[in-house]
Amino acid sequence: MNIKILDSWLREFVTTKATPKQIAEKLSLASVSVERIEQRGTDFVYDIEVTTNRPDLMSLVGLARETTAVLTENGIHATFIPPKLSQPKTANTVEITIKNDPKLVNRVLAVVMEVSVKDSPKEIKERLESTDIRSLNNLIDVTNYVMRVIGHPTHVFDYDRLDTKTLTIRESKKGEEITTLDKKTYKLPGGDIVAVNDKGHIVDLLAVMGLENSVVTNDTKHILFFIDNCDPNRIRKTSMNLAIRSEAAVINEKAIDPQLAHDGLLYGIELFEKIADGKVISHITDIYPNKVKTKPITVSEEKIKSVIGVPIPLHKAKDMLEDLGFTVEKQTDKLTVTPPSFRASDMEIPEDIIEEIARIYGYHNIPNVIPPITSGVINHTHNEFFWEDRVKDAMKYWGYNEVYTYPMVSENLYEGPLADAVAIQNPLSEDMVYMRRTLVPSLLQVIHKNKNADKIKIFEIANIYEKRHNNLPDERLIFAGVIKKPKNSFYEIKGLIEQLLNDLGINNLEFKQLERGGDGASIFIGKEYLGDIEILDRETINFELEFSVILQHVTAKKIYKPMSKYPSLIEDLAMLAPASTSTGELMDEIKKQSDLIREVSLLDKYEETRTFHVVYQSYQKNLTSEDVTPIREKILNVLKEKFNARLKE
Amino acid sequence: MQEDLLKLKNNALSLIIEAGSGRELEEIRLEFLGKNGELTQLLKNLPNIAIEDRPEAGRLANEVKQIIEDTLKQKEGEVGKSKSEKAINIDVTEPGMRPSLGHLHLVTQAVREITEIFERIGFSRVRYPEVEWDWYAFTSLNFPDNHPARDDWETFFIDQKPDPKKGPVVLTPHTSSGQVREMEKKILPIKMLNIAKCYRRQSDVSHSPMFHQFEGLVVGENISIMHLKGTLDYFVKSYFGKDRVARIRPYHFQFTEPSFEVDISCGVCLGKGCKLCKEGWLEMGGAGMVHPNVLKHGGIDSNKYTGFAFGWGVERVLMMKEGIEIDDLRLLYSNDLDFLKQF
Repeated sequence: MNIKILDSWLREFVTTKATPKQIAEKLSLASVSVERIEQRGTDFVYDIEVTTNRPDLMSLVGLARETTAVLTENGIHATFIPPKLSQPKTANTVEITIKNDPKLVNRVLAVVMEVSVKDSPKEIKERLESTDIRSLNNLIDVTNYVMRVIGHPTHVFDYDRLDTKTLTIRESKKGEEITTLDKKTYKLPGGDIVAVNDKGHIVDLLAVMGLENSVVTNDTKHILFFIDNCDPNRIRKTSMNLAIRSEAAVINEKAIDPQLAHDGLLYGIELFEKIADGKVISHITDIYPNKVKTKPITVSEEKIKSVIGVPIPLHKAKDMLEDLGFTVEKQTDKLTVTPPSFRASDMEIPEDIIEEIARIYGYHNIPNVIPPITSGVINHTHNEFFWEDRVKDAMKYWGYNEVYTYPMVSENLYEGPLADAVAIQNPLSEDMVYMRRTLVPSLLQVIHKNKNADKIKIFEIANIYEKRHNNLPDERLIFAGVIKKPKNSFYEIKGLIEQLLNDLGINNLEFKQLERGGDGASIFIGKEYLGDIEILDRETINFELEFSVILQHVTAKKIYKPMSKYPSLIEDLAMLAPASTSTGELMDEIKKQSDLIREVSLLDKYEETRTFHVVYQSYQKNLTSEDVTPIREKILNVLKEKFNARLKE
Repeated sequence: MQEDLLKLKNNALSLIIEAGSGRELEEIRLEFLGKNGELTQLLKNLPNIAIEDRPEAGRLANEVKQIIEDTLKQKEGEVGKSKSEKAINIDVTEPGMRPSLGHLHLVTQAVREITEIFERIGFSRVRYPEVEWDWYAFTSLNFPDNHPARDDWETFFIDQKPDPKKGPVVLTPHTSSGQVREMEKKILPIKMLNIAKCYRRQSDVSHSPMFHQFEGLVVGENISIMHLKGTLDYFVKSYFGKDRVARIRPYHFQFTEPSFEVDISCGVCLGKGCKLCKEGWLEMGGAGMVHPNVLKHGGIDSNKYTGFAFGWGVERVLMMKEGIEIDDLRLLYSNDLDFLKQF
C-alpha cells in the first residue's frame, strides 16, 4: 500500500535539516521505499510504499518516528515531535450506549459533539489533497486528517440521523441489505461487522465504509465521532467479498494498534473544536476488551552477529531500538527488548529484533561476500538439464522454433476422459481449466494461430499432469513437436528422431504401427514405449515423446572400437520385392547374413525396387570378390525364401 | 632447331613457375602449345632441317611438349582449378544459402544464462512439483491460515480432496515451495537453484497466469546477510553488467526474517531517476534470511544453521536486462512466430 505525504506536513512531527532528497534516500534504504518525490510549488510530496506488516507507518507520526531514527543513525540531526494530546472537557448532555461484541471488535471509542458544517481551512484541504484524499467538508475532513496523522481510521455519524440511544455491534446475517454512503446497495455475505440502531436498522459497516442512512449531511448539527478497532480477518473478508477497497478497509485489515484509536480520538476532538466549532456533549465511551499484549524478546550479541555477518555493539543496538520506540534492557551479552504496542503484532522472535537493528545500521554498510560453501548435492555434469539443453540446441540448429504454451487448457484442448483430469477449482477463464495430459493440442493451436506461414516447425519441452489417487499428480516432461509444410514426409520426422536420439547415445529404436490406430508410428527404445509420430494430414505431422524415458537411456559414454586396417568393399543391391514388404525387416535380414557386413542402408526406393547399400569389411584381411560372392548368394537366397524378393536384372 | 626447342622449353618453364593464376597458365599454354603457339611455329621448320636429324628433333619436340604440359598441370594443381575458373561467375552481393536456424524461446535463453551464473558459484539446479501440497507452498513457509496469498482470487487450487496433513493441492505460486523439499533431502550445506513455472490467478499486461521464477536457497553454518548480499551482487554484475548496482532494503515476507526487497539501478537513466524507474531504482524481487520456522519445518536446527533465500521472476529480469519493452507480458506466451523469431 502507498501513502503520499507533504514534506512540510512531515516536518510538523520531525525537526531536521535533512533535505527531502536525503530523507527519501535514507528512508528507502533503512525503512520504507520512497518511490517518488514530486515538487509541489516550494513543497515536496513523498510517494511511499508501506509493507503490510507496518500499518503503523501509514501515518505521519509513524513516518516521523522512523525518519528520526534513520537520520540519527546516518549522522544527520533529527528530533521526533509527537502530537500533544490532552484530555477534553466532557459533558453529559446526551447519552449514547455502545454494545460491543468482543469477538468482533477489540476496542470502540465514541463521543457526541455539537458541530457546524463548513469548508475546511485551506491548509487542511491542501494537505488532504496532496495525500490523494478529496476534501468534502470539515467533518469528513477531520476523520481523514486524523487517519493520516495518527494512522487509525475513524468515522463520523450524523448523531440525529442515527436516531438511537444504543448502538449495537453484531455479526451480519447473510443477505442483509445495506446502502453505502456512495449510494451503492449491497447484499451482505454474512459474518460482517455491522452496527444497528434501536429500530434494528443497520447504520454502519464497521471499518469498511459508512452508510447512506447515517452519514453527515450539510444540515448536520451533532455528530457521533466513532473509532472502532476490529478483527482484521473479518474486515478483509467483507472488503474483498463486496469489492469495497476503501482506504479505511485496507488499513483496518492489517491489524492496527488499538492504542492508536485512543490517540485518534483525542486528536480528532481537538480538530473538531478547532475547525468545526466542535463541543463535546457526551461522556467518552471507551470499551477495550482485547488489550494489546507485548512480550519481551531476548536477543544475544552472538545471534546478532551470526545473522548480520558483522558485529554490532550492544549499546549501539540499544540506541537504535529506543529511537524506534522499543523499551530495551541491556545485559552483558544480550538485550531484552519490549516492542511498543504499535509493533506488537509484528514482533515475535529474535530475528524480528535483529531486522530492526540491521536495517537501521544500514544494509549498505554490510559487506558483500559470496558464501564460502559448496552445495552438499553435487550434480553430475550430464544431468537432466544438460540433456534438455542438448535436445533444444539440436532442434534450434535444425530449424525448429521453441514455443512455451500454457499448461492449463480448455475442455476442447484436453485429451482423455475429463473425469481423470487434474482440474482447477477456481480457473481464471474457460480456456484454462484443466492441467494438460498432452502437449500436441497446444502446439496445434500455435500452428493455427500462425496459419499464414506456409512452413512451420515448432517444439516444446514441458510437463504433463496425470491424476493419481490421494496423491499429487504425476508430472512428466514431454518433448513434442509439430511440422507443417507442403509435401511433408513421415520419414523426415522419423529421421529427425533417430538422429536426435543417436546424438544422445540411443540407437536401439523400434518403430511400429501406431498402437492407437491412425497413420503414424509408435516408437520404442528396446521394449519401452517412448512415444508416437502421428500424421494428421498431408501437411501436418506431430510427434510426442516421453522425455523421462529418453533420460533413462541417454548416455554420454564414448566407446572406442579399433578401426579396421583393411579397406571396405561396397556393393549396391537393387531388390525387387512386393510393395508390402517391410524395408526394416529386409535390412535386418541382410545384416544378419554375415559378420563381415558392417553396414546396410537404403539408397533408394522406387515402386517395387529397393536399392540397398551394403558395406563389407574385415578386421583380418583385404576382402576380395571371392570373399563377398558367397555372402551375396546367401543374402539373395534368404530374401527370396522369406520375402519372395529377387535381384533386379 | 634443338637449341630453339631448349630455349622455348626454358622460356615456357620460367613463365609457368612465375604464373600466379589459372588464367595466366591458360595464356601460357596457348602461347606455347596452342594452334598458333611457338612450338607449332617451330615445328613448321622441321622440313627445313637435315633429314637424319629430323627423328631426334621430333623426339625432342615431343619431350619438350610433354614437359611443358606436365609442368603446367602441376602448377595448375598449385594455383587451383584453372579450366573451370573462367566459368566461375559469382555475385558476392547475392544472398547466401543458409542452413536452417530456429530460435530458442526467450525464457529458455534467460534460464540458461541464470543457471550458468549461479553454477559458477556453486549452486545446484533442481526441479520440484508444479502441482503441490499447500504444506510446501504455504504452511511450511510460515504463512498463516488467513494469509491473503491463500485466497482463491490469488492462487489456483486443484479440485481434489485435501490431504489430512498436507492440506489442499495448489499450483505453486512461487518457487519457494521447493525450500522445505530441498531441506528434506537432509544434505547440508544447501546451495539450491530452483527454476520453475509458477502460477498466479492474475492476467493483465504485466501479469501472465503462468510465469517463471528462479529461487536460490543457501543453508549452512554462519550464513548471514553478508552472504546474501555477496551472491546478489555477483548475480547482478554477471547478468546485467558491471555498471549496474544492487541494493537491498527492508521488506516483509512470511518466510524470511529479516526480509528484503532487492533493487537494481535503472539501466536507462543509470540511477539518476527517470519515468521508467523509481528514483533511479527498479525492483527486482524479494529475498531474506530463512525464517527459523521454515528451517524447523525442513527438519533443520535453527540454532545451529542459518540461511538465506531469494526468488525472482525470470521474465522480470529478462525484461529489465534487454530493455525490450514488451507492452504486454503475455506476448511471451502468445507464440506468434514473428515475435519468437526476433530473438
